[in-house]
Amino acid sequence: MKIPLAIIQLIFIILFSPFLSGLITKIKNTLRMRKGQGVFQPYLNLRKLFLKREVISETASWVFGVAPFVVMASVLTAALLIPMFIGQSPLGGAGDFFVLIFVLALGRFFLALAALDAGSSFTGMGSSREMFISSLAEPAVCLVIFSVSLQFGSTGIAASFGMHPVPVSLLVAGIALFMVIIAETSRIPVDNQETHLELTMVHEAMILEYSGKRLALIEWAAYIKQMLWFFVIAQLIFPIASFSCCNNFSGLISWGMWYLARIMIIVIAVAIVEVSLAKMRLFRVADFLGFGFVLAVISVICAILRI
Amino acid sequence: MVCSEIILAVKKLFPQFSVISCEENYADELIMKVTPQIFKEACLALHKILLSSVVMLFALDEREKTGKFVVNCVFLNLRQSKWITVSIDIPSETPYFDSLAQNMYSSSFFEREIWEMFGIEPKGNPDLRRLRLHDEVWPQGNFPLRKDFTKKVEGSLGEYKFSRVEGKGIFEIPVGPVHAGIIGPGHFRFSVAGEPIINLEQRLGFTHRGVEKLFEGRNCVEAIRFSECVSGDAAFAHSLAFALACEKICGVSVSGEAAYLRAIFLELERMYNHVNDIGGIATDVGFSFPAALSAIIKEGILQLNEKLCGSRYLKKINLVGGVSLNLDENKKNSTRIFLKNIKYDFSELTKILFSSVSFMDRVDSTGVLKKKTAKDIGVNGLAARASGIPVDLRKYFPGVYKEAGFKMAIEESGDVLARLRMRVSEFKESCRLIEEFLAKLKNGEKINFSPVLKEASALGYVEAWRGPVLYWLKTDSRGLIERCKIVDASFCNWQGLSYAVLGNIVPDFPVCNKSFDLSYSGNDL
Repeated sequence: MKIPLAIIQLIFIILFSPFLSGLITKIKNTLRMRKGQGVFQPYLNLRKLFLKREVISETASWVFGVAPFVVMASVLTAALLIPMFIGQSPLGGAGDFFVLIFVLALGRFFLALAALDAGSSFTGMGSSREMFISSLAEPAVCLVIFSVSLQFGSTGIAASFGMHPVPVSLLVAGIALFMVIIAETSRIPVDNQETHLELTMVHEAMILEYSGKRLALIEWAAYIKQMLWFFVIAQLIFPIASFSCCNNFSGLISWGMWYLARIMIIVIAVAIVEVSLAKMRLFRVADFLGFGFVLAVISVICAILRI
Repeated sequence: MVCSEIILAVKKLFPQFSVISCEENYADELIMKVTPQIFKEACLALHKILLSSVVMLFALDEREKTGKFVVNCVFLNLRQSKWITVSIDIPSETPYFDSLAQNMYSSSFFEREIWEMFGIEPKGNPDLRRLRLHDEVWPQGNFPLRKDFTKKVEGSLGEYKFSRVEGKGIFEIPVGPVHAGIIGPGHFRFSVAGEPIINLEQRLGFTHRGVEKLFEGRNCVEAIRFSECVSGDAAFAHSLAFALACEKICGVSVSGEAAYLRAIFLELERMYNHVNDIGGIATDVGFSFPAALSAIIKEGILQLNEKLCGSRYLKKINLVGGVSLNLDENKKNSTRIFLKNIKYDFSELTKILFSSVSFMDRVDSTGVLKKKTAKDIGVNGLAARASGIPVDLRKYFPGVYKEAGFKMAIEESGDVLARLRMRVSEFKESCRLIEEFLAKLKNGEKINFSPVLKEASALGYVEAWRGPVLYWLKTDSRGLIERCKIVDASFCNWQGLSYAVLGNIVPDFPVCNKSFDLSYSGNDL
């Protein structure tokens, strides 16, 4: 059961994740009265990058070459830790929520290191900013997890999967996580994926020296990471039962519809936030993530009070 | 202020002052010839009397005729609406003059320019690094604006020395000259302590094309197309300033229909650039919705331009002595309707911007250029008005603007928000002005113009959207251009940017830069 599940889950995540980014861009462009690129553009971009030659900085050591693979491996491992279709994850038992955080942190650590390795002033600036932001984001995520574990009595990810009533604590935790995820996926108001301005970039600055296949890997890993977090939020706020409890075909269809619809709700929310806000001044990010942290604290209190 | 008055005033401050000659060659120009020995004191005295920074400081090579170089220093007298020039002759055997830079910073870059282009040394200027002839390509000893310069003489090449800030934890970030966006080339060297900027040094000149040299020897009536290419986004203003200088030399004054048409197109140029900058500021802080809206408005204006004159960027309109086209009733009406629609869109745009907390937080108190700093550097135009300096050539040399009741916008705080508000109010005022001018426009006034070409010099000036565009033109007896000195507002304002960003964090530089929106090609010439 576990091996086919792992394969299905990996294929689903790998193939579906770029679509979400394309969809966010499409929604944003529609809101901005623009025609914009098609929803499948991220796939075309990846194809283009995989076909391109790479240029590697002369000062770069092995870290630079290895980092994209570490990043990709870390997000794929994380993908296997999360239960997506049934009440267990393919790597169930191998790790809980905290492992998920640290596996993703490993990828980021290597990326920051590789950025310094490239020896460009922009990439160094990018990694310093990325570390600044993630040092503020991680405590908030940890607290969210704390609150969720209190609710379910376990830090295991699988425990949170399945149909359950949504208490206030989970709702608040979901919102807190949403704020942090905006930072994690480098979106406005924390970072701006669309910008061409080297001096204002965070994540984009960090990967500025990458090109070709390695860049494609990093981008793809970013898509996957984004999808994983969207899924976790969706599971907290809009819980869904395992598909195996649908006993007929139409039940399965409606399950599938709801499964995708809740992801779409988050996608639309992200797109609307991105269009309606300006990017924050860099040091204001601390206030923003601080607010996320406070929400997480509130959700912990709610969880303790059982509301 | 006539000659005698000004001589008296200078004598009060500087008793040894005497002039070789003083003449009012035009109603708005006055030129005083003095000896090189008293040049510095005379300029400093004028600076104090007129409260004007050095507006222009440039040299001419007249060695063929008189064996001398000429250096002219132009001040602006706002009270009497007059340009006052102090002129000296410098013998070619002793090519130097007393530098003004230690006392008036605004002359500093002009002196560096004179040094690199003519090889006339401003004695006492502490910084004689070259601005446009980069040491990596141009060997020392090449002075391209001298008349006897024909081609680059090879020699040993040097390297540009950046000023360095040293200390614990100070980093340098070199940016450019090739940038990620499609913009002009310029190198910016930031010295930062963490994110805050300690020092910004700019190195420009990458788009130096030798424009001033290329003007030389051309017929002044025909060279007007050339002036449109000096700075592409101010094509109309540049050609207008050139035309005005030419017209002064030829002794024509353009009034009536052509003057209204010129004002209309000048304001259209202002409008499309201002709305473009408003969108640019929004883009640079990642606020994409208003950016998209600005792009729509800008495109609308560009299409209107094309409809009215066949050129989206308002080229081929100005002629020496008039304009090349007419607006019929049909075009006038469609302009009126368009302006009405655009006003609505524009007020929507400003509403979105000014009511967004996240946007206001980014622009408020970012990139402050203090009034004192702006005055000392000689910042002019929109950037100066945003810092509380009331200078607008449309106010002091009104012409047709007087009939339309032009109101100058001004802001005090000098930050990105102030420059943004300036653009918003100027955009609205331009809309109103165009409507006024359209109502005054009468068909049928034709200009009969036969240029009288003679040896003379004159200054043409226009308040373009960035600030004043100045053309100082000298022709010979056949009407061929001997010297054409161009000063775009960007030349002084780039320095303003250097000071405005100090203390701001690196990620705020793009928005500060965009709020000035200076021209690379207008500066590099």
